[in-house]
Amino acid sequence: MSERVAFEDVSVIYPGMAEAALSHVNLEVEEGEFLVLVGPSGCGKSTFLRALAGLEAVSTGRIMIGDRDVTRVPAKDRDIAMVFQNYALYPHMTVAQNMGFALNIAKIPRAEIARRVREAAELLDLTNYLDRKPKALSGGQRQRVAMGRAIVREPQVFLMDEPLSNLDAQLRVQTRTQIATLQRRLGTTTVYVTHDQVEAMTMGDRVVILKDGVVQQVDTPDNLYRHPVNAFVAGFIGSPSMNLIEARVTGNTADIQGFALPLPREVVDTAHAGRVIVGCRPEELQLTDTGIPMTVQLVESLGADSFVYGVVDTIAGPTTVITRTHPADKPALGSSVHVTPRQAHFFSCEGDRPRL
Amino acid sequence: MISRRDTIAGYLLLTLAALISLGPLIGVVVLALGEPGRVGIKLDITQATNFGNFADVWEKGDFGPAILTSFIITTTVVVVSVILSVPAGYAFALMDFPGRTAIFALLVLGILMPLEAMIVPLFLDMRRFNLDNNYWSVILPQIGFSVAFGAFWMRAFFVQSARSLMEAAWIDGANSWRTLTRVLMPLARPQMLTLAVLFFVWNWNDFLLPLVMLSGSDLQTAPMALVTFEGARRTDFAYVGAASLITIAPVVIVFILLQRSFTRGILAGSVKE
Repeated sequence: MSERVAFEDVSVIYPGMAEAALSHVNLEVEEGEFLVLVGPSGCGKSTFLRALAGLEAVSTGRIMIGDRDVTRVPAKDRDIAMVFQNYALYPHMTVAQNMGFALNIAKIPRAEIARRVREAAELLDLTNYLDRKPKALSGGQRQRVAMGRAIVREPQVFLMDEPLSNLDAQLRVQTRTQIATLQRRLGTTTVYVTHDQVEAMTMGDRVVILKDGVVQQVDTPDNLYRHPVNAFVAGFIGSPSMNLIEARVTGNTADIQGFALPLPREVVDTAHAGRVIVGCRPEELQLTDTGIPMTVQLVESLGADSFVYGVVDTIAGPTTVITRTHPADKPALGSSVHVTPRQAHFFSCEGDRPRL
Repeated sequence: MISRRDTIAGYLLLTLAALISLGPLIGVVVLALGEPGRVGIKLDITQATNFGNFADVWEKGDFGPAILTSFIITTTVVVVSVILSVPAGYAFALMDFPGRTAIFALLVLGILMPLEAMIVPLFLDMRRFNLDNNYWSVILPQIGFSVAFGAFWMRAFFVQSARSLMEAAWIDGANSWRTLTRVLMPLARPQMLTLAVLFFVWNWNDFLLPLVMLSGSDLQTAPMALVTFEGARRTDFAYVGAASLITIAPVVIVFILLQRSFTRGILAGSVKE
């Protein structure tokens, strides 16, 4: 039975630490939803997962699974399954024993355990490895056993803590798709933690961006990309990330090295100290004959398109700016070019640099 | 790649080290098989044929009952101490309870205190509880000393063994006890066996504690029997050698039986798996 999960004003403060690892988090995960938590290391995403698992004590607030308040319920009674980053397979047990351990503890009849393990093994292509010990398995197989151990439980919630980070790049992409497909098929509420924004964008129904223990934005991948709520989210999501150029507000325009970018009325009104941050995705910047002057430093060709890295002198000093072009248009290294934004996002220069 | 020269040098060094450590033992064996009653030490391997020395010594030194006494005391201490050390180490390593640090510090203090400093009050305590001059007066203090070290030893293992394994077990619904018995103890087997070997060696060889505690009784342990025997026949080197071998034989046997897991336990954690 899949359930919804709710964090109500949850904070986690580690003993002896001044800053909260997780600060006043309010979040709801819908029944059957695949929610991805993403953020730089130390942002509190693992703490979130561990608090939900019952491995970390919550300082304030309430955690609900379904209608049950689990804030003080020990991990073993929460009916959740977790896939660990290092898989944490029991090294002295076979694959089948690893997958059946939880059911064994729960005193499920032997035949039932065998049936569920067999089904999960078929699903994960592990049937031929049921009698092996973890050390005789490859990285990808171990990862699948860890998944299998979670699946056989038929838990209310799946938790996954960077389950792909120990796999090589190719296997990671493949397994990413498998996990997403599997989750949709099983329909189990899933909270997935990663530091990889590509994983977050491709797997999640919704994505939570965390920074310093504070939720920055919770939204669908599309909305995060199109409507980031602040400069941090704008810079974090997208690869290469969004260009953030600080500019002076002159009349109704933003002035970048003599280039005047028209500003919407409300941005002019709310800009702080006559400054604004102009955000522009690489594909929203065009190489043009006139515009913002830029010196080309590096050109990356990826076949279908190229990324041109250059330096623009802004009021905040030299800033690296990236633009995407057609490979046929790529400029020479060291040459002076001009770029023009086709579209722009505006952020305040102060505080959390919120969207204007 | 290890070069041929390094390999040879390695073997030479190991052979030398083996000779240095085996030399005295071989000496004792040759001595023990020498002609009994002869005055002075003469290591003559051609005359090391008196296998009857062992039987003589066994009888004359009353070694049978002494070894039995040592065996009863030591096995009780080893079994009880290992059984107590494992959960104690687990609790110190992985459970949160008030006073954990203070209690652990007290325990470490127990390892650091020399027996000589405690022997007199310990003896008086045992006498007050009417436990002197019986097995318990040796067994109980030895369990105390052993568990202090054992908890320390097992804690070190549990601290460095993957914490995520324990967390995985909790999430799988196991309580602390099940986590210990079903997940962590199977992994700790080499450490537990190593601990058993160490306990066996230390407690078998312990001389002072049984000497003080059992002084008013007929009970004596193997090392006590050896000292008594040696005192009576100081110059009969063949007999003294044979008696020494009889006394250490059980230790050697235990070590050989558990040798593999012993070295595995000592080396555990030295390489990342």
